[in-house]
Parts: sequence; structure tokens; C-alpha cells
Amino acid sequence: MLLEIKDIHVHYGKIEALKGVSLEVDEGEIVTLIGANGAGKTTTLKTISGLRPLSSGSVVFDGRDISALPGHKRVLVGIGQSPEGRGVFPGMTVTENLLMGAYARKGDFSKDLEEVFELFPRLAERKTQAGGTMSGGEQQMVAIGRALMSKPKVLLLDEPSMGLAPMLVAQIFSIIKEINNRGTTVLLVEQNAQQALQLADRAYVLETGKVVKSAPAADLLDDPQVREAYLGGSLGQH
Amino acid sequence: MSSNSMITNGRNAFGAFVDGVRGRWATAPGWQRWTIYILLIVGALLLPSESIGGFMSPYNDWASILFFPIGTYIVLAIGLNVVVGQAGLLDLGYVAFFAIGGYLMAILGTRMGLNFWEILVVGVLLSAASGVVLGAPTLRLRGDYLAIVTLGFGEIVRQTAENTDAIGGPRGIAGIPHPPDIDGIELFGVQIFHYGVLDPRPYYYLLVALAVLIIVFVKRWERSRVGRAWAAIREDEDAAEVMGVPTFKFKLLAFAIGAAIGGAMGVVWAAKTISINPNDFLFMLSATIVAAVVLGGSGNVPGVILGAFLVAWLPERFRGLSDYRILVFGAALVVLMIFRPEGLLPSRRRKAELAEGTGGMGALGAEVPGPEDQPAGEGVAK
Repeated sequence: MLLEIKDIHVHYGKIEALKGVSLEVDEGEIVTLIGANGAGKTTTLKTISGLRPLSSGSVVFDGRDISALPGHKRVLVGIGQSPEGRGVFPGMTVTENLLMGAYARKGDFSKDLEEVFELFPRLAERKTQAGGTMSGGEQQMVAIGRALMSKPKVLLLDEPSMGLAPMLVAQIFSIIKEINNRGTTVLLVEQNAQQALQLADRAYVLETGKVVKSAPAADLLDDPQVREAYLGGSLGQH
Repeated sequence: MSSNSMITNGRNAFGAFVDGVRGRWATAPGWQRWTIYILLIVGALLLPSESIGGFMSPYNDWASILFFPIGTYIVLAIGLNVVVGQAGLLDLGYVAFFAIGGYLMAILGTRMGLNFWEILVVGVLLSAASGVVLGAPTLRLRGDYLAIVTLGFGEIVRQTAENTDAIGGPRGIAGIPHPPDIDGIELFGVQIFHYGVLDPRPYYYLLVALAVLIIVFVKRWERSRVGRAWAAIREDEDAAEVMGVPTFKFKLLAFAIGAAIGGAMGVVWAAKTISINPNDFLFMLSATIVAAVVLGGSGNVPGVILGAFLVAWLPERFRGLSDYRILVFGAALVVLMIFRPEGLLPSRRRKAELAEGTGGMGALGAEVPGPEDQPAGEGVAK
């Protein structure tokens, strides 16, 4: 198992945001975490990347307990993240943003840059544009590309479809598939359950800080409860 | 691109001009840059000349004004710019480090008999240490909370000085020694290394030397890995952390460097002033230096220098208006913030940050839209 979260509890002050979440991501998979607003999806990702301390439970990566490892060191073990709201550095150019992704590594990054530019030709056209002046879709590309620059074993994506037009969402999702085909494991947090489930191998459904369902993604697409709650499946049948 | 819309915008002709100069500067060959640097330093050394003093400061001795407040504010603003402009941490208690430097000079000079140069070294180190001591517990806070805590720290330092009889209490410390003289070196009739009571110019030259040294260091940091880390922290701290930037360590470093610069200035200032007391280190000074940084163009050293110069010089220049000068000064600040919220000479990067409309001021947390139109994004993040 590449990434394993065991019964984590996370608090914001006195409020318990995660009430014992467990999930596993195997090497080469795309796993998606779906759920409504406030279910704890982002908190789960932040806990994995080390931005939130956990009250109990553990995060195990590549056989090693990283629960106490500070966030900036988790990049080194192989966790790359495109944070919530994209988190593009607005004052840096596209290239500078991408190079920030390789901040923790040493050496020559020109090959890695090329790879990202090949994956996102749009970014190659805008190398010197400031991140803050780009459109939402382009910023999302920067955020994903930047995370790839750290050469992660697992890529954590927090709502890459947020605020994007449907065409762009499809484009971003096909790039995620491509990234996965090239050998990077993906943990995808999404509100856009329909598309996330079509893309992913397996899925977890999060509800108010608890995993309420976990199954192969294709099964959840047909699951009546999930359809009802997240896919608008029963609309029009009443 | 923002610079295009700016050129078409008549109001921002000044900005376009600055952009042009900056573009040329970015591509200027090394020898041209060095020439300009040397001219600037020579210019700074020639500043305390009587010929411009009559206009620049009709009410006070121009050379004295150049040392304090102008030069002092400039050095403090450069130091605070590391914290506010580079790392994006709003420090409202910066005067504390100036006070610590000043008191170190006063105590070590009068009680331990150390000379100025020794105290300068000790002062820099201890001020940096005080920056770490303040930073370690408080830098876990962000934005407004950090500002409040630093504001408190500034007051704690002053109150402690006021209530500690061993360091003079409210009367402060008098009889602070001047830097040791090196007599006999004369330039244009000024004994440039004779640190007496009457002639402020040697102190001013000392301050220029200190400022040049600090600027060199600060610019080198800015262009290094450290500078990139600060920029990332300022623009999005969480993103910086997940990129592998040890954010806490770098924030602490920014605090320590800022504190060291403030402390160094405190030492130099106290060495000229002979006597200091807690009321020299009021919150007003912290606020003024923050104003200088923001007004000049947070994050950009030339901008910050210009801001500090204006903030220090304008009230002196218009001293004839007595109390109304503060009114005029306040009005000038408001007007500037309306028409150039990014500061007089902002860094390019800062401009782009402001254009995004959210994280523009870094952890300053102010959500001010830029003067230009918002980028046509599909809903800016957050």
C-alpha cells in the first residue's frame, strides 16, 4: 500500500472535522474522495500533506509513519499537492511557479519543465505571464504542473474542477488520466462526483467527517444512494 | 497584461515611465549599473550640502535632518521591508528592535565601557536573537493576529524599559559615548571620522555606509533561494509549505534579519544622540515605518527608500505649518493610497499580486483590488 490513513481524527479548535477516517491508496491507482461541502475532504488532504496536525490516528506512506513529519518534508518522501483554491503564486511567472514545485529538489530541472510544458501546451505559450493574471483553468494547470515538478509518487488534487467551465473540466480530467498513465498515483478530492467516479478506479464517500462508503468507482456510479445524494440521479423521477 | 492597460490609462503615466526605466535597468550591462551605484553613493555623500539645505530644510539644520529622521527612517524601512515586503509578515512592533539596539548601545557603552564598534556587533547579534525570541511563539499566527501580537511586543519592550529602574526608568540613559574618532582625515573641510557633538555629518556618513552594506545584503538575499522562499510564503503560505519550503524557519529568518537591521540602526542612532529614554520608541514610530514601506512600494528597496524619505522629510519641510503639517501629511497618505495603492515604486511582482486581488498583501491580509482592471478569470480563487 503506497498511502494508508488509519482512523485519523482532526480538530479545528473543539470542532471535530474528521471523526476517524481511514483510506488506502495503492500504487498506480486513481482514488477519489467525494462528498458534500464540509464533509472533510479538504481537511483529509491537508492532513496527508501535513498542513493540519492530527489529534489521533496515523498517516503511513510507503511503509513509513509520517504522521509527525512537517509538511515541507513530506514533499521529499513523495507527496505532491495541488492545494485547495489552486494556490498559484500570483506574483511569479508560470516558469517561476513551476520551479517552486522543485524547490526541495536539487539539480537541473529543464527536462522536468519540458515534460510539464508538453503535458500543458497552454503553459508553454505563457511561460513569462504572472500566475495571478491567468484564467482559472490555466491556474489549475500551473498548480498541477507545479505539483508534478516535485516528482511525487502520489499526487493529491483538491477539487481541480472548481470554478471551471465543463470543457476545461474534461480537459483537466483527461490530463489527470494521462499523468496517472505515466505512473503517478493520484488521490483526487472532488465535488464533481459524476466525472470523478468515471475517472477513478476506487472511491470513498465522505459524510460529516466519516467514510460512509468505499467501493470501486464504477459500482458507486450505479449505487442508488450515491446517485441520489451526489449525482442528482433520481431527479425527475418523483 | 497589466502594463498594457496601464499605458493606455492616462492616470498611470507615471507607472508607465517607471516601467520603462525598470525595463531598461533590467537589461543594462554591468558597467552601467555600477556607474549608477557609485553615482548614487556619491550623491548620498554630497547630500548634506548647504546649497540644497536651504530649500530642503528651511527650519532645521539639513545635515541633522538627514541623519534623523530621514536616514534613520530609511534604514529602518529597509529592515522592515524584509519582514513586511519580502516575507509578507505584518510587524507593527518594529520599533522594539530599534529600542533594543539603542538600549544596548546605551547600557554597554555607559556601564561596560565597550566601544561603538564592539557594541554594533553585539547589538546586531542580540537584536537578531530578540527577533527569534519574539518570532518563535508568534509566527505560528498569521495576518492580523501576528500584527496584534507584534504591536503588543513593541509596547512590552517600551513599558519594560520605562519600569526598570536599573536602566533609568522613564528618564532613560544619558552620557552615551560617541563612536571612537579617527582624526585628521578631512574631506571638503569635514573631519569625516570625528564624531563630536556639533557636526552631524560624520554620523550621516557612517549611516550611509551602514545603509549601503545593508542594501547589498538585502538584495543578495532577495535574489537567493531564501528570497524565493519568502516570496512564496508571502503569496501563499500553505502552497509554499507543500512545495517543500520550511515556512516557519524562513519566517523566523526574516524576523531575525529585520530585527538585526533595526537593532543596528538603534545602536548607531543612540551613539549620536547621547541620551535616550523610553519615549523615543513609541508605537507611532512603528506605524510611521510601516507607512513608509507601504507608501513607497512594499517589497522594492528603491521604493521603500523613497517612501521613507518622503515620510521623514515632508513633515520637516513643512514644519512652518506647525500642527497642520500632520494633517497635510495624513491627507497626502490617503491620496496616495487611493491613486497608487501598490505604492510609489512597487516591485513588478507585487503589482501582479495586487492584480489578483486576494493574497496581494501577503499575510497583511488586505484584500484590495489593484488600480487596474481585474483579470478576466473564471472566478478568482478563494
